[in-house]
Amino acid sequence: MPYLSQAERDYITEGVHSDLRADGRGRLDYRALVLETGIISQANGSARVRLGGGTDVLVGVKVEIDQVEPDAADIGKVVCNVECSPSASQQFEGHGADDLNNELTQALQRVLGGPQCGINFEKLCIIKGQQCWIVYIDAMILDYSGNVMDAIFIATKAALFNTRIPKTQIQDMGDGEFEFEVLDDVEDAERLEGVENVPVGVTLNKVWTVMTGSTKLNKEHATPLEELCTEAKLLIAVNKDGKVCGIQKGADGSIEPGLMSEMIQTAKRVGQSLIRQLDQSLHNEEAQVEEKRRNGEHVEKLGFFAVV
Amino acid sequence: MELQILSPEAPSKIVKSKNEDAMDVDGGDVQLVMPGETITSDLQFMRGHGTYLDNESTVISSVAGVVERVNKLVSVRALKARYTGEIGDIVVGRITEVAPKRWKVDVNGRQDAILMLSSISLPGGIQRRKNEEDELQMRKFFAEGDMVAAEVQAFFVDGAIGLHTRGHQFSKLRNGSLVTVPSVLVQRCKSHFHLLPCGVHLVLGLNGYLWVSKPVPGNPESTDEADIERTYSNKNDLIEDSERESIARVCNCIKALAKKFMHINDTIIIYTYEASLKYSVKDLLQKEIVEAITSEASQKLTME
Repeated sequence: MPYLSQAERDYITEGVHSDLRADGRGRLDYRALVLETGIISQANGSARVRLGGGTDVLVGVKVEIDQVEPDAADIGKVVCNVECSPSASQQFEGHGADDLNNELTQALQRVLGGPQCGINFEKLCIIKGQQCWIVYIDAMILDYSGNVMDAIFIATKAALFNTRIPKTQIQDMGDGEFEFEVLDDVEDAERLEGVENVPVGVTLNKVWTVMTGSTKLNKEHATPLEELCTEAKLLIAVNKDGKVCGIQKGADGSIEPGLMSEMIQTAKRVGQSLIRQLDQSLHNEEAQVEEKRRNGEHVEKLGFFAVV
Repeated sequence: MELQILSPEAPSKIVKSKNEDAMDVDGGDVQLVMPGETITSDLQFMRGHGTYLDNESTVISSVAGVVERVNKLVSVRALKARYTGEIGDIVVGRITEVAPKRWKVDVNGRQDAILMLSSISLPGGIQRRKNEEDELQMRKFFAEGDMVAAEVQAFFVDGAIGLHTRGHQFSKLRNGSLVTVPSVLVQRCKSHFHLLPCGVHLVLGLNGYLWVSKPVPGNPESTDEADIERTYSNKNDLIEDSERESIARVCNCIKALAKKFMHINDTIIIYTYEASLKYSVKDLLQKEIVEAITSEASQKLTME
């Protein structure tokens, strides 16, 4: 567990109080993020998000055919997994990241595993009662400097936007027997239905100020040092219509009901604006790639060769 | 709320000199090497730190860094290495452990540095011997997590750095925030404690930890009981919003310099600070503005 001195803690909390944080940002300011999609050719969709030159998250989406669950015969499903690379931070060495892996995996699975995820699960079913697509979302945290949850959600949304599922052709064999064939043509692959409704997560941290006794304060895109000062944090998943798709509280402290509803309102506002800007950037990137393809140019993804 | 979503940037092409085998380090040109790169296949050279021998003759770099040569000894100084101290260095560290009669201090080195109880200035007289009472209340001086400015005094047999904090300028650090940069960037200079013209106090730790803060009031050289008390205080003074902004600005300027991998000293920080005044503090995190202020500062430095 990294340490923080009392003086630093006070300096950071007072900074939040006066809306001027240690790096000059206001309470609700995000750090700049760098986004690239489609960097893993073996995956059906992928994205890498870096936040403020520190936090680095890579998300890959892989779709596979599997038997349907007996109690949900006409839908496919989404399976999430998050893993922290031991090289990301000193505290992740050995089994240090196990708890965090679990927490992040659970949070992501809870939001994306159900109907609030936005993706049309019925479309993922290939033959009713028999086979369906399973969407595996794997997130890897390559570097850690605060606010990984938001970064994971942004990267996941971008990776799902980038995902293409191969088309299938169903043949009626008679006697209620069906068989299907997966079409290999890349051009035929289609986007997941309802991917625009996938929510993003907004993490708000409650920071207690010593000076005033009790102040309700929240901020986001916390740096690691700031996360050490956090008394309680709330992850709120919001979709593009401003609907809340999931809430999870973290850290040890408590949140008053009044503050809670204020946090949710803030998250709705921030989340919607985040999705709007993210969608725009994703569409721009895709349009650029398509234009290059049309002109017969080679589309080169930078991936891990990028400098910034 | 505005969010900046950027696209990744391609690395700029590095033009390498052709004559890789001909080693000419004396020529003044800095030779940068990558891990696994051949430095020389000349038999007359001996391998030093950061290199290894391949099939008995070729010297190959094991780190990314600058090639250095002393007579026949070839070594590579890594660009991002852990801090190896030298006696007399001023460092900034964080207490990680309170042990019998000593503190362990994180100074970004290969192992934690050691600060002995006998190497700090104790309250009540400068040259007092430590007693059992002091030993029992060590956390009153430094507790886990505290930041401290110290000087490298000696090395222990296992290579651990021994620190001391005797003297008026060394104390527990408060009133500000920590900035970390690669330790190679911080240059050795006459003084590592600076009061910048913008009213911000700066401790340039040679280990790459820099402390940016509001100056502590009072006469630091007085041996008053109250002043000694203040040396170990955990409480911040009242910091005005304008002072907080200056501190944040200096922090961001240092981060900008580190991002461009430029040497850091008080002069270049002041120049960068002056160049940054055109922009708001949080804009200093943007890439173009980092570029603008650091190039303006380095131009100003070369003009002198």
